[in-house]
Amino acid sequence: MKTTIEVSDSRLTAFFSGRLDTAAAAQTSEDVRPLLEATNKEIVLDCTELEYISSSGLRIFLSIRKEAAQKNNKVIIKNINADIRQVFAMTGFISLFDIQ
Amino acid sequence: MELLDPHSSLILDEYRTRLPMYNELQDKIESMLRDELAKNELEVTAVETRVKTEKSLVGKLKLKGQKYASLSDITDILGARIITYYTDDVDRIAAMTERMFDIDWDDSVDKRRLHQLDSFGYNSLHYVCRLPESALAAPEMQKFRGIRFELQLRTTLQHAWAAINHDTGYKTGIEIPREYLRQMNRLAGMLELADDEFSRIRTEINDYRRRVQQLVQNGKLDDVMLDGETFKSYFDIRPLDALNKRIAAINQAEIQEVPLMGYMPVFVAFGCKTLGDVDRLIKKYSIDAYRLARHQLGNTGIDIISSAVGLQNICIVCIVHQGGGKIGLRRLFNALNGENSNNEMLAEITYQQAAELINAKER
Repeated sequence: MKTTIEVSDSRLTAFFSGRLDTAAAAQTSEDVRPLLEATNKEIVLDCTELEYISSSGLRIFLSIRKEAAQKNNKVIIKNINADIRQVFAMTGFISLFDIQ
Repeated sequence: MELLDPHSSLILDEYRTRLPMYNELQDKIESMLRDELAKNELEVTAVETRVKTEKSLVGKLKLKGQKYASLSDITDILGARIITYYTDDVDRIAAMTERMFDIDWDDSVDKRRLHQLDSFGYNSLHYVCRLPESALAAPEMQKFRGIRFELQLRTTLQHAWAAINHDTGYKTGIEIPREYLRQMNRLAGMLELADDEFSRIRTEINDYRRRVQQLVQNGKLDDVMLDGETFKSYFDIRPLDALNKRIAAINQAEIQEVPLMGYMPVFVAFGCKTLGDVDRLIKKYSIDAYRLARHQLGNTGIDIISSAVGLQNICIVCIVHQGGGKIGLRRLFNALNGENSNNEMLAEITYQQAAELINAKER
């Protein structure tokens, strides 16, 4: 699992690649720390190369969203595959995120 | 620049000396007002403060410099203004400021009370204030002892009228030509009525909320028409807790609270007119909603769900039962997550799962 963050003036984009499972969660939590510290930004979670998300991964996305709401940031999830979209749907989180 | 008389020049010198102190007091007063408004949960349109400019003071001294013995006699060197949404709030904030400051009642004016029965105009509450002794205990506060400042309280509509009236260039109602005075006063009367109406509407909305809460608490759901307010009140009684807990038990999952308001248009589309209709629909499809969740989550090990999962599944099985098919489900996901071509595939998969369960039950 690899997480890369790209920073621009008004946006932070996190590119996730691989399987965001329990084993990868601790490192990914560390990697996304800049997203939690941002204020007044658009945060894009680019999931083009994300293959799988577990409960631990969902918790990371939820913590990013929770922190963003407190810091006036907007979170957008982009390019999730069909399986991950189904995970968001079956857990009832699909209405919580802006999934594009 | 026209020269001031010697007496006014002395006042101007005093102003220049004391300007830093006034600037400091300005910050202090503004932050005290903002803190107290927040503490009292009073929302306002604006809190404004300003220290009179030298140009404005010179203008005032030219007009009536002899009226003032010293700078302290001019009460509006520092001015603060609170602009409220509602006319009722002017009185609430007046009470708040009376607790915060010492009010110089001789120089304070409630212009709202000055009007005759047949006149309208600039309604506003002006207080001349000082910091109270309790705020002056610290050594760095001593310099503010006895310094007076003006505080204006007015509604947004009163402020709009006053600002536009000021823009005409006439400082008093006496200077303005009679034909325009009449037109401005007609507007002031209209805005006063509008202010009263806004306050009345706010009171009625609050009464409505209380009535709805009462009906919902008493279970009289058929008496409550479905709207955004009532939908929210309905979920305050947590009608989905049992279903969500049952779904959470599938994988010993934790439940994250999420807003449910996005589902209101879905229930309107189902033809629900009252909360009774919503409640019946929820009860009717709860078992199938649980079965769908068990089918989807049962072999995943996902141990986190949202508090919307029960409601979402109720909507899914309702659509499938009512023959809405894949198109209906795609519309549901579009309503919940915005238009997205990928929702079609999601609708397809979900339809297969839900239809399979429903057909199995019917067989």
